[in-house]
Amino acid sequence: MRRPTGLLLAFPAILVVILLAAVFASVVSVSLLQADPGGAVFHGPASLRNYTRLLGSADAWRSVSNTLRLSGIVTLICLVCGFPLARLLARASSARTRRMILFCLMATFFSGGVTRAYAWLIILGNRGLINQSLQALGLPSVALINNETGVVTAMLNFVLPFFVLTLFSALRTIPDTLESAARNLGASRARTFLHVTLPLSLPGVAASCFLCFALSLGAFLFPEMLGGGRVQVLATAIYDRIQTTYDVPSAAALAMLFLLLILCLLAVLGAARQVVTRRAT
Amino acid sequence: MRRRIDHARAVSPLAAAAGLATLAFVVIPLPFIVLSAISHGSYRLLGKGSPTLEWFRNFVTNDRFMAALGNSVSIALITTAVTLLIGLPTAVAVTRGTFPGRRLLLSLVSLPLLIPGVIVGTAALGFVAQTGIGPGYWPITVAMVCAALPLALRPIIANLSGLDQDQEKAARNLGASPLRGFCLVTLPQLAPGLLAGGIFAFIEAMDNFSIAAFLTDINTTTLPIEAYSYIRDIDDPTVAAMATLLIVMSVLIVMVLDRLLGLDKFLDLS
Repeated sequence: MRRPTGLLLAFPAILVVILLAAVFASVVSVSLLQADPGGAVFHGPASLRNYTRLLGSADAWRSVSNTLRLSGIVTLICLVCGFPLARLLARASSARTRRMILFCLMATFFSGGVTRAYAWLIILGNRGLINQSLQALGLPSVALINNETGVVTAMLNFVLPFFVLTLFSALRTIPDTLESAARNLGASRARTFLHVTLPLSLPGVAASCFLCFALSLGAFLFPEMLGGGRVQVLATAIYDRIQTTYDVPSAAALAMLFLLLILCLLAVLGAARQVVTRRAT
Repeated sequence: MRRRIDHARAVSPLAAAAGLATLAFVVIPLPFIVLSAISHGSYRLLGKGSPTLEWFRNFVTNDRFMAALGNSVSIALITTAVTLLIGLPTAVAVTRGTFPGRRLLLSLVSLPLLIPGVIVGTAALGFVAQTGIGPGYWPITVAMVCAALPLALRPIIANLSGLDQDQEKAARNLGASPLRGFCLVTLPQLAPGLLAGGIFAFIEAMDNFSIAAFLTDINTTTLPIEAYSYIRDIDDPTVAAMATLLIVMSVLIVMVLDRLLGLDKFLDLS
């Protein structure tokens, strides 16, 4: 293809990039201003006041640690629960089992976030299914929403399909003849898993965990709906600034700090992932 | 010996059970939503009385829900069309072009995939506030196109990279113009990628919460945002009825995909 043709075809995408650049330049400049109380108007002079205030705020740091902790927990549980399903999908002997699993995963995935968040409210809520059952059995009810339990459950439910499908596409490229060979040479199932399956799956595991952690970091709907304002992560902290006081400059500053954190974290984790991949190959 | 080989290939019963337990956890929200939608109260789950269609009736007669539904569907359709119109030439330029910086271009348009929606939403709000455009229908639509573009690009690029370029060259040698060669030879083979990309774009625009939450206003909301505010204010199974309709849509989409492409092939592309 000739160079000008390529550039011409890329023109719409270049416009999109220019728009993104303009939007991010604008939000950086907004983050340096101050909001007029109760209005959508911002005034100068430009300063780092929003940033210094945030960096000195205990609430902001608490939402940073909540974000990291919850994302770590979700990734860990995802790995433990998701691995067997991805493996079942990759090694299922019948095509029908595989198709059924794929169907369930994708239908859940396409049914949307609010659908599932609402379902968890029905199941875990204070008058929800689990608590009604407990009551019927004469047991005391437990708080499963408006706390981290509810948020982690719903987030896990949301990221598991991504995790399983990513890991599945990595696992099925591993030839199953290697496992067969190990088993036929007398290795036990556990030994085969530890010495053959696991080392070969590591790059896929690293890629899926990376995706899972990145998705959890940005999760907003589930902390918002199942946290009931009591589980503050960075995403909800940003939204709160706009909902309660319409302080766009302060929300913008927090969003920029969040972006910085994400870019640093993903750069470090991406490098770690490459080390794992290189070791394994 | 044959038995031993089969034995090694299959997953152990315990591991299979663990896998199925995870699958059950993933799917469990859906039946409860449907059950709630035909029950007499949010938390009664068919406790007393026969199934009811009251909440479905409530959903379709609620003006705010219908306005939000109209917005969401029209925004999703526009987003799908525009995303594919931008995505197709971009995919061709990135995979077949020779201009410098084409990988960088792909990374830059993919940024909204990597950056959390809340950050994109805040940035978009800052932009429409500063420029005086203000939130509303068109800002949401433009933001959805930016968010959907990287999702749609991946399957189109995967599809395009897997194609044999010699066929198009043969068409050119036989005298077809570049455009004619592309449209008659390559484009029909890109149908799976465009279908997968289009579905991703549509679902993203219908379901997006984190960006849309910053760009809706009193006059313009989308379905997820309206559902959330309804849950906070009223909390009856009307939202379950809405969610049941979304589940039906989702199951239909997966069935169509299975029929047209096969789910395995769809996954290969995405």
